[in-house]
Amino acid sequence: MAEILFYVLSAIALASAAGVVLAKSPMMSVLSLLGSFFCLAVIYLLAGFQFLAAAQILVYAGAILVLFLFVIMLLNLGDMGAVAERSNALLEGTAAKLGAVLALGIGIVGLVAASRAAFRPVEVEPGKGLDDLNALALQLFGRYSLPFEAASILLLSTMVAVIALAKRQRKTDRGGGKA
Amino acid sequence: MNVPSEHLLVLAAGLFAIGVLGFLIRRNVIIVLMCIELMLNAANLTFLAASRQHSTAQVVNLDGAVFSIFVILVAACEAAVGLALIIALFRLKQTVESDALSEMKG
Repeated sequence: MAEILFYVLSAIALASAAGVVLAKSPMMSVLSLLGSFFCLAVIYLLAGFQFLAAAQILVYAGAILVLFLFVIMLLNLGDMGAVAERSNALLEGTAAKLGAVLALGIGIVGLVAASRAAFRPVEVEPGKGLDDLNALALQLFGRYSLPFEAASILLLSTMVAVIALAKRQRKTDRGGGKA
Repeated sequence: MNVPSEHLLVLAAGLFAIGVLGFLIRRNVIIVLMCIELMLNAANLTFLAASRQHSTAQVVNLDGAVFSIFVILVAACEAAVGLALIIALFRLKQTVESDALSEMKG
């Protein structure tokens, strides 16, 4: 049962990912990406990573995609982006790019096939996932405490960078007159 | 779920390939950023597959899970800075098409 669900969700995730690339308007791209992320969250849950499934929905669907939607609505790209993209030479040099991507994909699949013997499924007992929160916290604050602190510095510097970008922009707007 | 970890890897490879394809053929910078998110998600799935493959019923290996938490964090930072840059770019150029950005002859 869970296996069938996994394959169905994989197909939906891949189809939505293709929708991100093929959609005419950026809004539809964001919604396709949302579908893909939700399918991936359920796949994480099926694979036994309960905390990461929750983090996927909270951080990706809850924060990052809302940020994308904000920007698309703020810049009013709903229709304009679609028109500009269509008039563009979208398929210029696509054959070479498609070939490169196909070669990459075939290479990765070959790599997987070559190491096939090493892989085996792991059974997760129901009700208890692989990423038990206690164990995860022990790893994060024990063995990985230095990357954890580095992550906090990264978050702080991101915050400062975004504020600096936004603030400088506002100052030039005031000087140059509002469009 | 009794699916071999290699199937998770094949799904991750497919998502990553779609992300690379979108990164190469789309001109809209916002969609390019979304394709980067897609690729980061594929990397996440690979980490989780590795974590699952190296776990047994007795010993659980969480290294991959911890790394995917860091990947999610980096993705969030990247989206915030990237979108701030896109807004700055839009105010400067009134467009988000990457073809309009040719000052550096890229």
